[in-house]
Amino acid sequence: MAADAERTRTELLQGTLDMLILRTLLFGPAHGHEIARHIQNTTDDVLKLEHGSLYPALHRLERKGWLASKWDTHRERNRECKYYRLTPAGRKQLTAAQSKWKRLQQAIARVMNAPARA
Amino acid sequence: MKNDDLDRELRAHLDFEADEHRERGLNAADAEFAARRALGNVTHIKEDVRAVSPWSVVDDLAQDLRYGLRMLRKHPGFAIVAALTLALGVGATTAIFSVVDAVLLRPLPYADADRLATVWEHVDLPAYKNAQNTPAPGNFRDWREQNSTFVDLAATSTGAWSLTGAGEPARVTVERTTASLFTLLQIEPMLGRIFTPDEDTASPSRVVLLSHALWVDRFGSNASIVGQTIRLNDEPYTVVGVMPRGFHFPDRDDQVWVPLGLTRDQLANHGSHFLRVIGRLKPGVTIAQAQADLETIASRLMKQYPQSNTGVGVSIISLRDYIVGDVRQPLVIMLGVVGFLLLMVCANVGNLLLARASAREREFAVRAAVGASRTRLAAQMLAESALLAFIGGAAGLALAMWGVRALRWLAPASLPRLDDLAINPKVAAFNFIVAIAAGVLCGVMPAWQSRRDDLHDALKDETRGSATHARLRARNLLVVVETALGVVVLVGAGLLLRSFVQLTRVPVGFKSEKLLTFRVALPPARYRTAARRAGFYKQVADRLRALPGVESAAAISFVPLSMQGRTTGLSIEGDASNAAVRFGDFRSVSPGYFGVMSIPLIEGRDVAWTDTQDATLAVVVSQTMARTFWPNQDAVGKRLKLGRLGDKVPWMTVVGVVGDVRQLDLVRTPRPAMYFPALQDEATGDTLRDWVVRTSADPMTIAASVRTVVWAVDSSLPVTRVQTMDDVRSASTASQQFNLLLVGLFGVLALVLAAVGVYGVTAYGVSQRTRELGIRAALGARRGTLLRLVLGHGARLAIAGLALGTLAALALTDFMSTLLFGVGARDPITFAGVCALLLFVSLAASFVPAWRATRVDPASALRA
Repeated sequence: MAADAERTRTELLQGTLDMLILRTLLFGPAHGHEIARHIQNTTDDVLKLEHGSLYPALHRLERKGWLASKWDTHRERNRECKYYRLTPAGRKQLTAAQSKWKRLQQAIARVMNAPARA
Repeated sequence: MKNDDLDRELRAHLDFEADEHRERGLNAADAEFAARRALGNVTHIKEDVRAVSPWSVVDDLAQDLRYGLRMLRKHPGFAIVAALTLALGVGATTAIFSVVDAVLLRPLPYADADRLATVWEHVDLPAYKNAQNTPAPGNFRDWREQNSTFVDLAATSTGAWSLTGAGEPARVTVERTTASLFTLLQIEPMLGRIFTPDEDTASPSRVVLLSHALWVDRFGSNASIVGQTIRLNDEPYTVVGVMPRGFHFPDRDDQVWVPLGLTRDQLANHGSHFLRVIGRLKPGVTIAQAQADLETIASRLMKQYPQSNTGVGVSIISLRDYIVGDVRQPLVIMLGVVGFLLLMVCANVGNLLLARASAREREFAVRAAVGASRTRLAAQMLAESALLAFIGGAAGLALAMWGVRALRWLAPASLPRLDDLAINPKVAAFNFIVAIAAGVLCGVMPAWQSRRDDLHDALKDETRGSATHARLRARNLLVVVETALGVVVLVGAGLLLRSFVQLTRVPVGFKSEKLLTFRVALPPARYRTAARRAGFYKQVADRLRALPGVESAAAISFVPLSMQGRTTGLSIEGDASNAAVRFGDFRSVSPGYFGVMSIPLIEGRDVAWTDTQDATLAVVVSQTMARTFWPNQDAVGKRLKLGRLGDKVPWMTVVGVVGDVRQLDLVRTPRPAMYFPALQDEATGDTLRDWVVRTSADPMTIAASVRTVVWAVDSSLPVTRVQTMDDVRSASTASQQFNLLLVGLFGVLALVLAAVGVYGVTAYGVSQRTRELGIRAALGARRGTLLRLVLGHGARLAIAGLALGTLAALALTDFMSTLLFGVGARDPITFAGVCALLLFVSLAASFVPAWRATRVDPASALRA
């Protein structure tokens, strides 16, 4: 069933997406569209982010206490936006996730770059 | 609120996205469209976000309920019919349950009531069998002294005495009792003291305990009554105490207690059976152990006193069984019947929900298409039926409150423990559990059905989806089940009705029309001599006869069908085997009694005023007695004795034989019966109290005059139970009438439910087949053919239901055989009648849709 397949994909992406969101907010508060735009701009060709999957992730992170949110007016467009910012707990989580990610990356890199088997 | 928040957030997102697209040169509409495409399915996003919340399940439920309420408001007709039907089923079930609760479930109001048991003689003789015979004092004494399983035994004997000197003369129910009654019940008096063991033996002990109700009504709740003297049967009694409120034992109408005061002679008497015995078992002793213990004593007594105790065993019945044993089965049956009715209600409401589900197929298909899962849709439908159940439950509770009031008013006196019949928290909780269960039961079929629906089909065309056919099958099934349940309920009602008809046709042995009866009991103290009693009887009889509209008048000790009367052991002259113990019903009558009652005198003569204490002792016997005790002989002239052959009691000579009469009630076949002359009551100890007056017009027209007549002779005597013999006869079937009324009412409801069910499903079938019927009409099918087609559908369902129901009823009616009279549990007439009735009703119910089918306009049906 289609719904099941989708669920597996989110499952795989979930950890990564959370980390990307936390990382994006390290530079300061942002609203949903800004976050999506930033992730998309920085990775453009590599990652095609489904905007729709962003909001469940934002709400999940907020529930875990890693993000806090506040409604505020967007200065340029005079539009009410919900701004998310990193909490201290979120900052700690980002550090942990980042180092875990680095270890994984290095481990994979070692395998990928290893010379032929002895 | 949370949803709003998310909506605004997503809206902002779309606006930003659209801005970007516009900046790249798209027009406003295209920009919006592109933004939406980039964001994806908003419903899915919302569902996903909501799934993050820990409250999502509750949120869903709250939303479902809100939505359900909206749906019900939008379709008030459906909502009212469904909720009312449920309320009817739930209310009826709760009302019956409240009776079951009050009578069967609540504990008896005595300490350690499980250890209380009643003790009876179990008489098993060829001519007389009684598993609950009132024990003789001698047996009571021997059981009490020799047993090892009871803490103690107590004996009581009930009577109605006159109370004078406290307002108008009144009859009060007097319980003569041993002092042990109060100690073994562990009841403390509210005021004063209970009896002392000395007062059991020091005869006569003129002390009395008052019931709380009598103390309030007659003595103005005056606490100083203790120590004062009141007059009972014209003798002074000192009040020693007042019992607590609500204490009436062993009878519900007991008003005063006096010491039983058995004399030494009485305590040695094993042949006069008039006591009621209750005991408290020792801790840990079972009824069976106590039974074995007393049986040992009883068999010893059989050897010791063969003439009185042959065939006299023991039976021990727990107090609870004694009080509610007779009504347990009828009540359980009633609960079963109302349960079947509730299932019919569920089937009907389920059918309504299925019909609603068909109408909402498109709505559900759309919701599924925008992302609602099938489970969520099924949950939505269940939530709607739960909501319906709650409304139905609340209305049902209101209905049950009303029903309980009606039940309390209608319930026969034989239904015990109804004093605090009410909707208590337990019953209310039961009400809502039943309502919710019923709601879920109704909702399960449509919800399950909706999971199987092919939503694509539904979106394409709502009239031709395969789901529609599945649903029609489901509805057909429900109607079959409903009809089957209807058969069970109606067969039950039919059997009770047939029993009741049989009961009213029982030949009672006398003519009850135009017969008035009333009771005047003579206080022994003032009417100590036979001459005084004779004077009273003759004067009252003469004055009654002198009343205009009165044809004749006479008196008896207990009028037939009043559920009261005495039975005694007797011996007949020339009995070869001295061991044969015989029993017979025992009445005293005034001359002319048989004539007044139209009881045929078959042989010999009536009793006469000349049958006095000085004359030969005479007795008139019933036909059954003559045939049983003197087979193939002439009973007139034979002699009998009350008690054993060797007893020093006088012989009595049979002077006449009269027709049999149903003595205690309509159900019991006549036993041997003896009638003694009123003026020889010193030999029998049985005085007259019930008068019968044959009138030429409506007997109640002289009801007022009979009081005047009695008071003209003795103004201190209470006149009670003034009623027609027809009323007495009717009152003797009160419990049967009550059962019939309830089950009959349920039967009518079952019939209506079955009709509505069949109507609903055939009407729906016709609406679904409009196109098919149109084609048939266009191809030349005649109206008769179309009519047959639709009626055939209804008939097939009905017949399937009837077959199923007949099988179920055949398996179930055995349970109610104890409630039946003169008709078998598988009475073919009842079964056939019920099936014919249900078939007729089903066909009548399908006739309206069938007729509508013949009116289908081929052209418009095909275009549709």
